[in-house]
Order: sequence, then C-alpha cells, then structure tokens
Amino acid sequence: MDFIKIYRSPLFLKVIFVISIAIIFFIAGITLKHIHSLSNASNWVNHTYRTAIELEHLYADIKDIEVAKRDYLLTKDQTIRFAINIYKKDVQKSLEKVKALTQENKEQRKNTIILEELIQIKYQNVDKAFALVESRINDNYVVADELLSGKKAIFDIKMQVEKMVKLEEKLLDIRKANYEDNQNLTPIIIYLLLLFILGLLSLAYFKMNADLINIKKNNDELILANESSNLAEIVGNYGTWFLNLETNEYTLSDNEYRLLGYAPQAFTPSLEDFAKHVHPDDYSYVKEIADSMIHQEILAPFSYRVIKKDGTLRHFKAMGRVVENKSNERILIGTTSDITDAITASEELEVRNRILEANNKELQAFNYVASHDLQEPLRKIETFISRLIDKESESITETGQQYLSRIKASAGRMRILIDDLLQFSRTTRAENIFEETNLNEQLENSKAELTQFIEDTKATIVHEDLPSLNAIPFQIQQLFTNLIHNSLKYSKENSSPLIQIKVDKIIAEKESLLNFQTKDSYYKIVFEDNGIGFEQEYAQKIFDLFSRLHGKTEYAGTGIGLAICKKIVENHKGFIFAEGRPGSGATFTIFLPVG
Amino acid sequence: MQKEYIHIILADDDEDDRLFFTDAFSELKISTKVQTFNDGVELMEYLNQEDAVLPQVLFLDLNMPRKNGLEALHEIKANPKFDSMAIAIYSTSSSEEHIEETFVCGANIYIKKPSDFNTLKKVLSDVVTLNWQYHTSGLNKDNFLLRM
Repeated sequence: MDFIKIYRSPLFLKVIFVISIAIIFFIAGITLKHIHSLSNASNWVNHTYRTAIELEHLYADIKDIEVAKRDYLLTKDQTIRFAINIYKKDVQKSLEKVKALTQENKEQRKNTIILEELIQIKYQNVDKAFALVESRINDNYVVADELLSGKKAIFDIKMQVEKMVKLEEKLLDIRKANYEDNQNLTPIIIYLLLLFILGLLSLAYFKMNADLINIKKNNDELILANESSNLAEIVGNYGTWFLNLETNEYTLSDNEYRLLGYAPQAFTPSLEDFAKHVHPDDYSYVKEIADSMIHQEILAPFSYRVIKKDGTLRHFKAMGRVVENKSNERILIGTTSDITDAITASEELEVRNRILEANNKELQAFNYVASHDLQEPLRKIETFISRLIDKESESITETGQQYLSRIKASAGRMRILIDDLLQFSRTTRAENIFEETNLNEQLENSKAELTQFIEDTKATIVHEDLPSLNAIPFQIQQLFTNLIHNSLKYSKENSSPLIQIKVDKIIAEKESLLNFQTKDSYYKIVFEDNGIGFEQEYAQKIFDLFSRLHGKTEYAGTGIGLAICKKIVENHKGFIFAEGRPGSGATFTIFLPVG
Repeated sequence: MQKEYIHIILADDDEDDRLFFTDAFSELKISTKVQTFNDGVELMEYLNQEDAVLPQVLFLDLNMPRKNGLEALHEIKANPKFDSMAIAIYSTSSSEEHIEETFVCGANIYIKKPSDFNTLKKVLSDVVTLNWQYHTSGLNKDNFLLRM
C-alpha cells in the first residue's frame, strides 16, 4: 500500500531521476579507477622486467670484469686495466638504475646495498690482482687463491642478483593477485548497478506511461465536457465568458458569439467590442457594472438590451463569479443568457392578464347589474302589485284579479331566476377561499336554512358523521342545501320524504364510478332519497344549466340548482354522479378529495 | 322616552322607494317623524348643520348619485358627533361584498329591500322598535343582515 502511495506521488519520478544520476556518476568513478589500476598493473610488470634486465646487465658486466682480470693476470697487458675501468663505469650505471628501480621496496633497497657491497668486494679483489701483477709475484698459490676469491665474489654477486630478481618476481605476483582481486569485483558491481538503474528506469517508464494514459483520458473527458457544454449553451440559449483579472484578457465561448450574431471566435474579444453591441440607452448602466465588476467577488444578475450584428434587438441577462485558478490568477466567469423569448412571453402574458382582468371586471359589473339594477324594477313591480292587491282589490274585476295574480307569479319566478343565476355566477368566482371546513356544520346550516320546507314536508334527514376537509364553507352549504331542497321538492305526494346521507373514505382506482387508475383517496358522500326518482338516461342531463325534467306547473324551478351543485363539486376538484330509480328515489354521489 | 315620536331619516335617490317607505310608516301604528333626502350630499349637508336634529335611526341606500351610501357612512363614522345614531343599510343588493364592507365600516344592520309591501312594513317596524343597545352589543356578521 505504501509503495502504491509513493508510486502515485509526483515526487516519485524526481527521486528516480536523482538516484539514476547518482548511480551513473558512481559507475563512471569506478570505471575510471579500474582503468587507472589497469595501467598501474602494466607499469609494475614493466618495472619488474626492467629491474631484472638491469640486474642481468650488471651481472654480465661484473663477469666481463672477472674475465678481463684473468686476461690481465695471464697477459699482464696494461690496456686490459683500461678496459676494466670502462666495465666498472657500466656496472656503476646499471647499479644506479637498479637503485632507482628498487626505491619503493624496503627489502629490495637493502638487497641493493648488499649488492653494492658485494661489488666493492669484487673491486677489491680486482685491485688485489693488479697489485699482484705489479709486484711481480709469480707464486702459483697466491694467483690461485686470488682466482678463487674472485670466483667466490662473482658467485656471491650472482646469488644476490638472483635473489633480487626472485624478490622482484614475487612482488609482481603479489601485486597481480591484489589487482586481480580488485578487477574481478568491479564488473560485477557495475553490472548490478546497471541492472538496478534499468529497473528504476522501467518503473519510471511505466509510471510515465500510466500518467500519460491518465492525461489522455482526462483530455478526452475534457473534450467531451467542452462539447456538451457547447451544445448546452446552444440549446439553453446562453453563452459563457471569462475575464482574467490579472491580464485583463477576455475569452468568449462559441455561443457567446452566436448570441451577438457572429460566427464563433469571429473577433478578438474586448470590452469595447462587446460594448458597441449594447443598446445605447443601457450603455451607461452596463458600463457602470462592468467597471465595478472587477472589484467584486460576485457579479449579481442584471439585464440589458443588445443590438445584434444584424440589427435585431435582444434582451440579455448576465451574472458571474470570481474564481481563482491553480496559477493564482483571479478569473471572472460570467454567463450571458438571451432572455428575449421569456420577456416576450411575459409581456404577452401581461397583455392577456390585463384582458382577463378587464373581462373579470365586466363580469363583476354584470353581477352588479343583475344583483341590483335588474332586481330594483322587479322589486318595485312586486311591491306595487302587493299594494294593488291589498288596497285596490275591491275595485278590480275578478278577471283583473286573476291577471294580477298571474303577474305576481311571473314576477316571483323572475326573482327566483335572478337569484339562482346570481348564485351560479357566485360559485364561479375565483376569489373563494379554501379553509378547513367541518361538513357536519355545513349540513346543519343547510338544514336550518330549509327548516320551514322540512317541517312542511315532514321530512326525515339521517346522516353519518361527516369529515372535515379543505373547502369553501358557504359553497358546501349551498351544495347540501340544493341537494336536500331537490329531494324535498321531488318527493312523493303520499309518503313523507326520507333523506339518508352516508359517507365513506375510498381509493380512486377501487371505485367503479370514478374509473381512475390513481391511488388518490376521496370522501364518497351519498345522498339517497325516496322521492319520485328519474329515468337513468337523464343522469347526466340534470346537471346542465336550465335543464328541467318536469313542467313548470308541476314543479317550480329554474334548472339551475343541480348545475350549481356540479359547479361547486368541480370547484373542489371533486365529482358528482346521479342515479335515478323512477318511482322509488334518486341517489346523488359526491366524491371530494381528501386533504 | 324624552320625545313622543321616533325620528327617522331615509337617504334614497329612488322616488318610489321613498314613497313606499313613508307609506309604510304612515300605515304603522308607531309615532314617527320621517325625513327623506335624495342623495348622500343632501343628507350630509343636513347632518352637518350645527343645529341639526339627529335621528334615532338613519336608513341609508347604497346606490345613490353624487355621494353614495358607503361614502356617507364613512363620513358619519369619522365624526363622533353622530355616534348616538343607529345606521341601517337599506339596499336592493344583498351581495356579500356590500354586506361585508358596510359591516366593517360600522353600520348597525343591513336590510335588503323587500319586494312585498306587508313585509316592508314588518321589517321597518321591527327595525325602529329594535333595542339598539342590545343589538349593537351582540352584533356579529351573522345577525347583521336582517333576515325575514
């Protein structure tokens, strides 16, 4: 896990780089040292051979001196002494060289001193031979002795030389062994280090490769995101712009250009370029905002008008926010959306609203006319008729009185019609307020309203406990009143009316009358009577305005009552159904939504 | 009672209604003095006179030219001088708005003009003999509209 963490860290590549450089320097160092010791070794070999050669030279010269000495002893030729002196010089030269060559080794230095002493002994032997010749002693013993001592001296020198050569060879062997020890290790170390570097580099390669794949993937995603944002801008009719607050440079999205009527990136953006499209009346306002936006963290939404390249007027809305990027630059990101359509739509809506309001006012005026102006003359006609009947009935003929009562009945009918129409128009008014309404209370109010009628018909009304729901109280009362009134009006002559009111809470999809597929719950309130009923084929028609199933003389009515009921139920987003059983009664079923 | 008659004023622009009104009172067996005005301007001119005799009950039609009943009602209620006066709204309309508005403005009772003369007589006799103090103390929106 730790390794993965390190592997992921951006330091990883740097560390590998530093380690690799260090190892390469190290390898270079040991290689240099290796080459250096190689040349040292060949020097040593050279040195050993040169020493051996010089010692051989020296020994040969000493031998020459010995041969010359013997020649002198035999021939007594004075020129030989001269030759011996030259040989001595050669010996001296060789000795000097050997001395120089054996400088480093202590033992070899000692050997050289011994060798020098031996040479001196040899020289003394030679000098003795000279003295012998000059003294003309021709004693064979003496000569033999001298020859023997000469031979011994030579032998000693030979031994010493051999000893020195051997020592030199031994030294060479030691150095060789040393050198080989070193040289054998170096290639292995270099090899291992190279392998290690290779490993590190492979790791770095994989890491870089992985990073590269990642970058490529991110890049692909970025391209996709860019493209989708471009598309979104076109669909959403908006554009994006960036203002780098450090460099004061603007960048506009493709659609920002399109909004102004240009091809994408058609010009190098600047505030001036943009400002020349702003509507002259809005220019100072926009400029003020543009000047202040540089100091603000948030550019609050504001609207202005622009004139596009083709001269059409559009409404824009802009807003923005300052963000800081990774390079610590503050950048104002803004969006501009073309809200012309929304503004046009809202203007149209306003116009329609005004028309609607005017219509509503006209309707209210009509209401007033109906409630006041139409009623006033009617009321006067009725009052005058009642005055006529009360005060002048004696002076009017029977036919005249009949006419009067007909006029009275017609006027009364007109009054009911006006009242019912008014009621109907009231149920369609928009300003009715919904509130928590106890249906039991509204039912009691209805019963109180109809007390006289209920008493007159000896009706019985039984009801279950009704719920409370969000409703318009006076409309619910109106609904109940109309339904009860309807039942009482169409009751059978020979039996007293019975109205049963039942309530149930149901789910829409389980109710056959509703035929819905939803799970909404409703209160199902059923008004059932034992009146004259009606043919089922009229079940829909009875809710129509001014629709009547009976003649005016049989049952007084305007045909508005049930239409009002339907309207009220619809106002409460409910449903009403009627079911008739001719001769045995009618059932009205109301569904009102719960809550 | 200090006075032997009940002083009543009616402000109504309709001549027929004024006629019904005075006729009704003349047929009633109550001793009354009925004064009528043709509109709100005439009414207020009279009431604002320093020596005006204020009625016990003022019947106020709503729909009148020049100054309507509601404007007159506002003026009357703004002046404490008229506090002792009972105000009965006497109108053809029985619209919720009118009832609500006049109730809020401080009228004492709302009468919808009946369409039958005998009913009118009964209503007027009920109203002028009403114990105003008792009615006003228990006044609410439900008993504000006089039901027949």
